[in-house]
Amino acid sequence: MEDIMSKTLSFGVDGVNGYPVHVEVFSMNGIPAIDIIGLPDTSVRESKNRIHAAIINSGKSIIPKRITVNLAPADIKKEGPSFDLPIAVGVMISMGQIAPNPEQDLTHTAFFGELSLDGCVQPINGALPMVICAKENGIHEVILPEKNAREVSCIQGIRILPVNHLKQVVDYCEGTVKIPPQEQISYEKLKCETVTTVDMSMIKGQKGARRAIEVAAAGGHNMLMVGVPGSGKTMLARCIPSILPPMSFEESLETTRIHSISGKLSPDSGLMVIRPFRSPHHNASVSSLVGGGQNAQPGEVSLANNGVLFLDELPEFPRASLEALRQPLEDGFVNVTRVRKQMRYQSSFMLIAAMNPCPCGFFGSTRRTCRCTPQEIRKYLDRISGPLLDRIDLQIEVDSVPVNEINDSGVSESSAAVAARVRKARNIQLERYFGTGKHCNAQLTNADVQRYCTPDDEATRLLNAAVETLHLSMRAYQRILKVARTIADLEGNSHINSGHIAEAIQYRELDQKYWR
Amino acid sequence: MALTSEQNAYCAWLASAGLPPGKLRYLLDIFHDPASCYQAFQQNSVDFSEILSPRFRILLERNADSEKLMNFIRIMKNNEIQAFHYNDDLYPGRLKQIPDPPAILFYQGTISSLENRVIAVVGSRAASYSGQKATRKLTRELSSHHISIISGLATGIDTCAHTGCLDGGSPTIAVMGCGLDMVYPAVNTALRDQIIIQGGLLLSEYPPGEKPTGWHFPVRNRIITGLADALIMMEAKIRSGSMTSVQHALEQGKDIFVYPGDPSSEYYEGNHQLLREGGIYFTSAEDILEDLHWLDNPSPVGQNSDCSACGITMTPEASAVINALKPGILGFEKLSSVSGLEPSKLMGTLTVLQINGIIEVMPGKQYQLKR
Repeated sequence: MEDIMSKTLSFGVDGVNGYPVHVEVFSMNGIPAIDIIGLPDTSVRESKNRIHAAIINSGKSIIPKRITVNLAPADIKKEGPSFDLPIAVGVMISMGQIAPNPEQDLTHTAFFGELSLDGCVQPINGALPMVICAKENGIHEVILPEKNAREVSCIQGIRILPVNHLKQVVDYCEGTVKIPPQEQISYEKLKCETVTTVDMSMIKGQKGARRAIEVAAAGGHNMLMVGVPGSGKTMLARCIPSILPPMSFEESLETTRIHSISGKLSPDSGLMVIRPFRSPHHNASVSSLVGGGQNAQPGEVSLANNGVLFLDELPEFPRASLEALRQPLEDGFVNVTRVRKQMRYQSSFMLIAAMNPCPCGFFGSTRRTCRCTPQEIRKYLDRISGPLLDRIDLQIEVDSVPVNEINDSGVSESSAAVAARVRKARNIQLERYFGTGKHCNAQLTNADVQRYCTPDDEATRLLNAAVETLHLSMRAYQRILKVARTIADLEGNSHINSGHIAEAIQYRELDQKYWR
Repeated sequence: MALTSEQNAYCAWLASAGLPPGKLRYLLDIFHDPASCYQAFQQNSVDFSEILSPRFRILLERNADSEKLMNFIRIMKNNEIQAFHYNDDLYPGRLKQIPDPPAILFYQGTISSLENRVIAVVGSRAASYSGQKATRKLTRELSSHHISIISGLATGIDTCAHTGCLDGGSPTIAVMGCGLDMVYPAVNTALRDQIIIQGGLLLSEYPPGEKPTGWHFPVRNRIITGLADALIMMEAKIRSGSMTSVQHALEQGKDIFVYPGDPSSEYYEGNHQLLREGGIYFTSAEDILEDLHWLDNPSPVGQNSDCSACGITMTPEASAVINALKPGILGFEKLSSVSGLEPSKLMGTLTVLQINGIIEVMPGKQYQLKR
């Protein structure tokens, strides 16, 4: 028998971007074995056992030959089982098990998928960036696992051929069977199909807190909720994605990419339509929060990109983890640097934090007495550093709603109604900051505050009086102006009046004297 | 008459020797003042072996160091610390009537504030919020009747007693358990400055440089009660350090008023025990004034009692909130439904009322009219 060489095309993922991988297979006479070269990691190296079984289970056989599989370019480390399918196809072609139909041009076809021993094609991580990269590289069609098809169905200009068994791929290459291509689903259509699971109408009472999250959403402000256990802080936070303006197609792509490479997308899900809501537990390590690990994986801040990062029990987070949040909060991205890799992940998120008012949780509660000493309370509050607090514009207290009020408080406003007001306010902001690279009030620097947030005379008098009597800091002063700007935007008012300032002052609870 | 800086330093020298107050008074009986005692000791003009037992003589000898004296002069000058002793004109008469009065006292601030009517307020350092609030209110009212509050500058009730007194306009007196140059407790540094600024007084039996050692505090409590006309116990558990103040007050024959806190709360166990043992029950500043026959006092220093005096125009929203709060404390949610105001409007109104001192905000979004 003669030695045959075959080439198939696939894609790998580096960070959030794909790159082309040429799978070259050469089979020659010699001691039967399969060698995979081109910096494969363990899961790639193990694929030879999987493809062996899968080929047999798809009705073909392995001819005892010396087979070398090269994944080019050879200097990038290849990770993950997504190369199973192209390797299997390449091996079969090079051994002559598949006789490609001359009419089937496979040079512009990319393959990816994991194989199970029985020949089934399993879903993979990172399908979205791979397909986007394939399209950019002029590839006409991709063959990928059926369960990944919806994820990439919004990409236009490339044929998506979903498969669920290796046999289908073999038949397709031989030209005996056609694979029905995945139907295009536009992002707009996807948006209409999706239903939200949480809604503001599920929150009973809590008028003050509802108003606060509306203001936070309208200006993109970070928020801290302080309240006794069971007061509904988590529920309120969960509602925030439902009142934020819907993600644009670009935003959705950006976020879905990150979820795709981390394997956080559920099978058969399309592009993400609802803004992500991430709530890491407080034992999360620094690298799980901001990204890291051996492969410089994205962390929670990136998974929350364009959405909400909710940190419950804020003071329980280790100091190092909280301080690591400062860069992503400031810049909207994180640089993750490891020995072999340097990655930049998008991470522009709204930080919503919640905490108890004291270690026992009942300081200020009307239902139970607090057992903490003033020192304990002070220590507890001091666990959150000034610079972090500095980046949180709204601080509110949330009190629990008594049972009898839950029943008689009637129907609360739905998310849709709130979202409409929020969108209006956001549009005003987009217009105002057009061309400055900013898109919401939360991003204003102190210099911007001087420029865009000038209150009228009466409002200035009120603010100065408040600083005097309530002992507010200069830091609080700036935040109040920013939040007042958002409140004015919600009202559609171009000027900041004393009413806006007065309301904004209420969102500085931690600056109130009794906490200190 | 105030002492010169050298005389101050001699006081510090004598106080820093470590002799018990009784021995110091005995020395002052013989030499009249610390300066002559120092001279006599340095020049050996008096045979100290006849006056003091060897144990105390050694303490004095160890302390005899002219460098130390210079050091005291410097520290006391820098920190504006002054001193007076048992035979001094400044020494308050009522302190001489207690068992074991201090021989030498150091002070910062206005010594004449001791001539006021003085009430001691004591209570737990780890006090409940309700106790702290009640203390602040009570002391503010007493203070507005020209009564000075004396306490120990510790955290918790002590802090509230001092701040309440300052709010009411009268000078307040703090007796410390360490040298006056020490920063202790550090959290009350600002309060300490405020006390001096408002014409109050910081007192200590301990010379500059003396650290805040645990046993100092129960001992200094006798000075707090000794300088006061009466004692108010605000909040104490059964085994509270504040109970030593009560013991001192009993020995000194002072009236003991006990605040009747929530009987179901462990914070007030000590209070209720004292009430059972005959402590005087009170609920308001008026009760105390009446029992002490002080009601003849001139009218209180003007505190914001009338809203029209605050100079704000009453908007309909503001009156709605004030009316809603008239029956008592309300949370934000309840206030919103009772006053019928939208949350955004209500928040704005609350700010205005808060700035103008008409309402009071408490933890947990609870609001109350200020009285």
